[in-house]
Amino acid sequence: MAKEVTALPSPRRRHLANWLFFRVGSMLALLLVVGPVLWVVVTVVANAAPHWKWSVLTTTTQGTSGGLENAVLGTLLLLLGVLVIAGVIGVAGGIYLAELVGTKANGKPRGGVFRAATEVLSGVPSIVLGYVGFTALVVGLHWQLSLLPAWIVLSVMVVPYIARGTETALRQVPTVYREGAEALGMPLGYGLRKVVLRSAIPGVVTSLLIALAISAGETAPLLYTAGWSVDNPSFSLLHKQVGYLTYPVWEFWDYPSKQAHYLSFDAALLLVVIVLILLVTARLIVARTQRHAESRR
Amino acid sequence: MTESSNNGVGPNVPLDRRDPATGQAPGPVDPALEAIDPDRGRPANVIATRGLSLRFGDKTILSGIDMLFPRGTITALIGPTGSGKSTFLRTLNRMNDKVSGFRYGGDVLLDDESIWASHQDLLALRRRVGMLFQRPNPFPMSIRDNVVAGVKAHRIAKGKQLDVVAEERLRQVGLWDAAKDRLGDSPFRLSGGQQQLLCLARALAVGPEVLLLDEPTSSLDPISTENVEAMLKSLAPALTLIVVTHNLGQARRVSHHTMFFYDGALVEHGPTEVLFEHPREDQTERYVTGRMG
Repeated sequence: MAKEVTALPSPRRRHLANWLFFRVGSMLALLLVVGPVLWVVVTVVANAAPHWKWSVLTTTTQGTSGGLENAVLGTLLLLLGVLVIAGVIGVAGGIYLAELVGTKANGKPRGGVFRAATEVLSGVPSIVLGYVGFTALVVGLHWQLSLLPAWIVLSVMVVPYIARGTETALRQVPTVYREGAEALGMPLGYGLRKVVLRSAIPGVVTSLLIALAISAGETAPLLYTAGWSVDNPSFSLLHKQVGYLTYPVWEFWDYPSKQAHYLSFDAALLLVVIVLILLVTARLIVARTQRHAESRR
Repeated sequence: MTESSNNGVGPNVPLDRRDPATGQAPGPVDPALEAIDPDRGRPANVIATRGLSLRFGDKTILSGIDMLFPRGTITALIGPTGSGKSTFLRTLNRMNDKVSGFRYGGDVLLDDESIWASHQDLLALRRRVGMLFQRPNPFPMSIRDNVVAGVKAHRIAKGKQLDVVAEERLRQVGLWDAAKDRLGDSPFRLSGGQQQLLCLARALAVGPEVLLLDEPTSSLDPISTENVEAMLKSLAPALTLIVVTHNLGQARRVSHHTMFFYDGALVEHGPTEVLFEHPREDQTERYVTGRMG
């Protein structure tokens, strides 16, 4: 076989080399991405499905057994808060960076300090943010382990992703849309909302999705700020600990009882399902808003 | 939608400049007189430039342009690439204001008032002086929403009236039959020429007095070009059109007046026939006869 290959005339050999490099290479890269995803999903489902009971969703945790209602509700409540707080600040920051800061004399966009700060922030390990939140909010302001410090720390953590994602998406919107809106005499904010942001929605939604997925999967900052509770979350922002799904995944695994292990895998499965639902929702939003986009003629 | 509504097509039918929501004419004009002659009592030249100079940073693009644009005429701006004609055009509705380094000297008068006067509302100015671009730029929304985008922004009409406005304007540009069954569709499924007509309908919907066109047909095929040109000619008595074009044939076909720019200067201007047949300047002759690109 090898002899045949070397006997090929050189253009064909080049084709073969290209084929090997690009086709096989890209297939390998694809496998490297898809493989772990499938592995995670299969492992989680295989370990959770045999003992799955729907009552997990309707009962609260009792010690290290019972259900996970408290954790599911807690995680959803945390995500909702992050969506509102980080979503508003991040998207507004992205709009500011992309549309409002203007350019310097040398043609480069302003706002470098802000941009650098978001980069540094996104590089800070989440456990450090959690610790800062713990000393400043939980202890420093006497808020105790509770919902508000958890919201704030998670939001601080994901705002950079949302801001950069929004900025990038807005910068990719064709200039002709902006000029068209301007030439019609649309006020800046109106044109932004109705024309420019509309075509940036896929990027904005994707960055929000990533932010929520990261928040759903965080453990360290929540241990420092939300604590853990076996009760369903109340709507008190302070002084009351909150349950969340990553806690049983991380904590119950170390317990000797089978029930604790079961809950650990149930929680992992629920996390995967939540992320999946987020993903599908994001796709639906994008499909709905982009049905008139230039790219989908 | 009734047939009685004025869709503005035809040389003697003035484009309806009244506010579609209220039926009121803009400004303190007697509606009866307005209906007979909408331009009554207005200056004969809708736009006039007085010693207009344009610079980006240290680079002077144009200097000392004195020019009058009579109401209801079509003026073509011709000249080689980089001669400053597009910059001139974009200045007229202040699209250059935000470009960094942009400076102007002299003045541009719209109905005898400076477009940079402190009491001029930029958004209202752009409503009066509309623009059509080189590349069709429909917005990423349905065909109907595209037509009424400006109408909504300026709150000229709302609700059901928007459908009327959309139909009226699509009819005016001759796109109604092609678009009536797909008003909710994406505009990007239309052909390039149709997209440009849609953009024209969008610009006309806010009731401009002047329309600036920056090479409106340069990205279109010959048949679409013909359609757009016919449309422009039919708009002229009611609107004032200023067209930048690289297509000398187009300038001859559609315009009443032609301005020839070369290297940052307005070399010559005059009635189109005269400028093409008996140019005064050597440069003009070389350009219009194709000996200089």
